[in-house]
Amino acid sequence: MTTDLGFWVLQTLNALQLSMLLFLLSVGLTVIFGLMHFVNPAHGSLYAFGAYMAASLAGVLGYWGGFFLVPLAVAALGAVLYFTLIRSQRRAGPMAQVLVTFGLIFVAVDATRLIWGDLPIGIAIPAMFEGQLPLLGVEYPIYRLFIIALGLVVLAALTLVLTRTQIGAMIRAGVDNDQMAACLGINVERMFFLVFVVGCALAGLAGAVAAPVLSVTPDMGLQILIPTLIVIVIGGLGSLKGAVAGSLIFGFVQTFGAVLLPTLNSVLIYALLAAVLVIRPEGLLPAKG
Amino acid sequence: MFTHTPLRLTTLATLAIGALAYAFVAGFFGLEILAEIAILAILVIALDLVAGFGGMLSLCHGALLGVGAYAFTVAAKDAGLSAFPAMVLAVALSAALAFVIGAVCARSIGIYFIMATLAFGQMAYSFVFQSPLFGGDDGLSGAPRPDLTAIGIDLTDSRAFAIYAIALVALTYLVAASTLRSGLGRSLVGLHHNEKRLRALGLTVWRAKATAFAISGALAGLAGCLAAQHTQYISPGLLSWTVSGEALVVVILGGLGTLAGPIVGAILFVVLKHEISAITPYWHAIVGLILIAVVMSRANGVFGYVEARMAARAAKPTLEKAKADA
Repeated sequence: MTTDLGFWVLQTLNALQLSMLLFLLSVGLTVIFGLMHFVNPAHGSLYAFGAYMAASLAGVLGYWGGFFLVPLAVAALGAVLYFTLIRSQRRAGPMAQVLVTFGLIFVAVDATRLIWGDLPIGIAIPAMFEGQLPLLGVEYPIYRLFIIALGLVVLAALTLVLTRTQIGAMIRAGVDNDQMAACLGINVERMFFLVFVVGCALAGLAGAVAAPVLSVTPDMGLQILIPTLIVIVIGGLGSLKGAVAGSLIFGFVQTFGAVLLPTLNSVLIYALLAAVLVIRPEGLLPAKG
Repeated sequence: MFTHTPLRLTTLATLAIGALAYAFVAGFFGLEILAEIAILAILVIALDLVAGFGGMLSLCHGALLGVGAYAFTVAAKDAGLSAFPAMVLAVALSAALAFVIGAVCARSIGIYFIMATLAFGQMAYSFVFQSPLFGGDDGLSGAPRPDLTAIGIDLTDSRAFAIYAIALVALTYLVAASTLRSGLGRSLVGLHHNEKRLRALGLTVWRAKATAFAISGALAGLAGCLAAQHTQYISPGLLSWTVSGEALVVVILGGLGTLAGPIVGAILFVVLKHEISAITPYWHAIVGLILIAVVMSRANGVFGYVEARMAARAAKPTLEKAKADA
């Protein structure tokens, strides 16, 4: 099995697909933390909302209607959350923030159960991505390749914005030292809002693209939360590079662990997390050098 | 530093008398709820010890409870120990595990500490879930209750069991309170305030943190033994991080760092859970809204709020007197 090239190609693609999904989720969370020092465990709930909305919209507008509308809708939801809860908790300390968002998770899980019911919902893969593509000797589902491509596109776009534009420079300045950035005339508060909403939109997008490959259930937000947090802690809170590295490490360890060391698999990633926290408590690629 | 204010002592006495009185009059369902409250109360006292006083917000206390429950069941059922030695063994194992976790995580602070404890908790969860020794997803059944028939108490009776559970809560409280009043407890509070200062004073920081965490872990393991004896069935779900999260919520609802507050929180939480889930299956949403309201109000939980109001009322006359004197 392990000497066959096809096996390695297949598992590498699987790992990449998982990594890219996690990247879409973790990048928003990590940049929000870097800028606002705000950990938002309810990020996973926004992802679940995205998946449910995509499932509902798929029946009305088709897959692509959901694909484009869901991020906007989740961003709007994020904006509502920002003005009702997040802004007033900005200076309340990490403990209060974690707890308020904990409460939000409870509410969100039951809200999805109330609106969409307890049963898993499935949605169809869009017609243009149906079927398999022969690739280096293996047949791989086109839709999963699309997820990998989408992750790479988002990564490229974010890298470009963060390193080549003025707003990107302002965000980096804010992550580095928000008080100094404010003194230099940057409206840090407005930037927080922008980053928060974009992070929410990316979580919604992740939900929308994950919906056809995973079954959509009320606890999907909780299930993805732990992997996402592991990714950003391994990578280093607040850094884009860290989110990329963390997603790739998680995706590959999880995927190859499942096929090569099935008995140790679930312990493996937590052992890795513990090792990173002991050796490099700030994560592998922290935002601040 | 931890002190027993008159309000705390009155609350504790009222709770103890109320719980005992209820144990004598309640029916079967009431007694089951009482035992459930007692198990949660032990867990949240353990958590408040490290989270409220040492600032160590742990997300692995569910796992420590679960380890206690599994160790007790395996020791009593498969190894054939009688119940009390099995409990001692289970508590010791939880304490040892907690000591290691506390020692390894001693350098991490804030969100990193939360994540590190989460990682260890999930590691224990995955291990129990996947290991063929522990019945996997099906869990284990048949944990015995201690045999006290020699002194005329039959713990298979739910009334006797509820009183036994209340006694264990009292024991837990005494252990936690005396830990906090010892040198270790004072160091723990000092570490929470200013770690550098205590390091400069010559304290071995990691050892103090790990020891406090071990005591807390032992108490969580005790809660696990009680949980195993109560339902006589255990599943990996006991070790899940959501149990730890819920315990943290209860500590906050009651009042962080008050020791008596979390007990009030445990009562409120279990009663609310049963009352609301009788009306609607969406009780988590209600608890979530209450949690948001409590945190947004900036009060330190229900008990913390009462404490702050009483302190303000007590301070007012002296302030006015001071003004009049001036």
